[in-house]
Amino acid sequence: MISQILGLVMLGYLLVAVLFLAAELWSSPRLQSWGRVLLWAGLGVHTGALLGRWAGSYQLAALHSAPAVFTDNLRLVILQAPLSNFYESLVFFAWTLPALGVISFRRHLQGYLGAVVAVLACLLLAYASFGGVDSRIKPLMPALKSNWLLIHVVTAFLGYAGFALAFGAAILYLLQDRRPRASLPPLAQLDRLIYRATVLGFLLLTLGILTGAVWAETAWGRYWSWDPKETWSLITWLIYVTLLHARLLKGWQGRRIAWLAVLGFMAVLFTYFGVSFLLTGLHSYLT
Amino acid sequence: MVTSPAQRQPKSRLWGSLTSIRLTVFLLLILAGVAVIGTVVPQDQPPGQYLRRYGQSLGAVIYGWGLARVYYSPWFLVPMGLLALNISACLVQGLPRAVRRSLTPFTWEAALALPERGKFNWPAGVDPQARINAVLQRELGACRRETLPDQEIYLFERGRYRPIGPYLVHLALLLILAGGLIGKFWGLEGSLPLDQGEVARTFEVGRNQHPLNFQVRLDKFLVQYYEKGGIPKEFRSDLTFLKDGREVARATCRVNDPVTFGGLTFYQSSYGSRPEGPVRLQVRHGGLDQTLELPPRRPVDLPGGEAQVMLVRVDGNLQGYGPAAQLALRGGTGHPQVFWVLQDHPELGQQPDHYQFRAESIPFQFYSVFQVKSDPGVWWVYAGFILLLPGFYLAFFRPAARWAVVLEGAASGGFKVRLLGASPRHREEFALSLERLLEGLEKGAPS
Repeated sequence: MISQILGLVMLGYLLVAVLFLAAELWSSPRLQSWGRVLLWAGLGVHTGALLGRWAGSYQLAALHSAPAVFTDNLRLVILQAPLSNFYESLVFFAWTLPALGVISFRRHLQGYLGAVVAVLACLLLAYASFGGVDSRIKPLMPALKSNWLLIHVVTAFLGYAGFALAFGAAILYLLQDRRPRASLPPLAQLDRLIYRATVLGFLLLTLGILTGAVWAETAWGRYWSWDPKETWSLITWLIYVTLLHARLLKGWQGRRIAWLAVLGFMAVLFTYFGVSFLLTGLHSYLT
Repeated sequence: MVTSPAQRQPKSRLWGSLTSIRLTVFLLLILAGVAVIGTVVPQDQPPGQYLRRYGQSLGAVIYGWGLARVYYSPWFLVPMGLLALNISACLVQGLPRAVRRSLTPFTWEAALALPERGKFNWPAGVDPQARINAVLQRELGACRRETLPDQEIYLFERGRYRPIGPYLVHLALLLILAGGLIGKFWGLEGSLPLDQGEVARTFEVGRNQHPLNFQVRLDKFLVQYYEKGGIPKEFRSDLTFLKDGREVARATCRVNDPVTFGGLTFYQSSYGSRPEGPVRLQVRHGGLDQTLELPPRRPVDLPGGEAQVMLVRVDGNLQGYGPAAQLALRGGTGHPQVFWVLQDHPELGQQPDHYQFRAESIPFQFYSVFQVKSDPGVWWVYAGFILLLPGFYLAFFRPAARWAVVLEGAASGGFKVRLLGASPRHREEFALSLERLLEGLEKGAPS
């Protein structure tokens, strides 16, 4: 049921992208606002689907061990957040893109930039739906039964989303830089958006790494164990640290920052997909 | 980097390179590169693995150059050490100045030195104080007023402590690195395998036995599944701590739920079962039933003498289906067939050709493995984590800006108003505020 709804949301995001593109091609403010309305609607339904899945996995867990007192119940609610397998992480990642997009880009989330974000969200949902990913709700394995699960996964994926937004703006920047087009946002604005999204992504990824370290300390007695996922998140972090220092201290702007944002996002993709599929480690339950 | 003649002394040049951003970026990229190697080359394997996987020459290079333990090799530790030096040098150089700047109050003298951003002439008859207050209140927030003999100055300052932010962040990183070093030198990390009922007085650190100043007993180990053949629900060890043979404390250790006693923390890290005596089996072959006793890891001839069977291992709760024994059967010269026999579920598990096995009793004992450690560095690391938060807040969410509005009486009976302001690092927000302030002061704030 929820998978079908998410399929609809995927189509919705696709339509958002089409509307935003058409709005640019025919420079139509009406299509822009339709695109924005549909984007909000998609985000709303997507949020509902996430909450529905949350409720579903809570009910399943309550069947296995019914919580007796309020605090147990609260803990169960926190534990059963739909963030415990690869499918759920894809769905949540797809949600963070438009959600963080409207916060970070505000009125700029339309036109080509809006289309890029909608396409990325649509691709993630398409992968979740058609990529042969197991979408069943399953009970939690002991390693994931921690109050840190929710905050760790949420911050990490919001960080990824910030970098994805910076990547989208960077791609537009590089296109605009090569062959200037009046319909694309001006370079200076894209440059600012890249920076803003990068800062947001950087802060959130840092929080994701910190909460992961605290969790690892309580689960395995080691806040850092050079697990491939940890190491690749550190590599990603180092790339964005380089970007921020180059920009804030060396005054780098424009094309070089855009390329660094692209490189950083490649590292993000490898941290998320590459590590899960190519390397084994403590995070390999994601697959 | 621009250097003055005085800085070209060797010492200053060294200092200059130590504090340079170029060194920082160079080190960051090196560290990223070495970390990539560490995820591509499998870490901590015996030397033979590398020779087999990469061939004689490359394998020898990988092992010999320390790439097999790259995070503990000079490839990683030297740039990390240099980065720590680089950060420390930048802190020494910049922190006192940042603190001084943050402690300097925003005086009217400083305000008058700000660059001028706009100039207005207001006619007589308006209430200039109310107007300025309203505009500033709306666009910026509460501001301070200084009255001089011939002019009034309205001062607004935000992000005064921003310059400290980046230094707090870097100080936090040094704390985290220091915590890592402290853990390395003064921490203790080992493992403790315990059979059910066993009492331990030592635990393994590397290849040595480290004494405990108490005893610990595993009363019971339990593995539970949500449903048979499904996902494990809980690994749980019930522990009793003893001093001089007397029970002092009891505790339950689970994954994500460690137990601390006597300065050491115990983490549930692994478990298993070992056979406790021979496994009794019924074997059916060619319509004949026979009982068989299998001691662990010793081949036993099957009736008829055509094949041998060996008990490989036992599992106290195989995927939630209860006790099970893994057997290997070898007939003739072929490959041995390996299969499970379940005590409570004889219908499960694949039987070998020509033989049928049923388990009558599988005596086993659970054991549980704990990660045992004490790490005085953790608190330094956590202190670093906590310090990062105000650091980030100041650095990224408090854009430093200073504004001043100077009000003077004009000869005509009207007023001269000047807007001054600066925000060197946040030109974007500054331009936005400037636009709104100019508009507000031009029109006069609607009251």
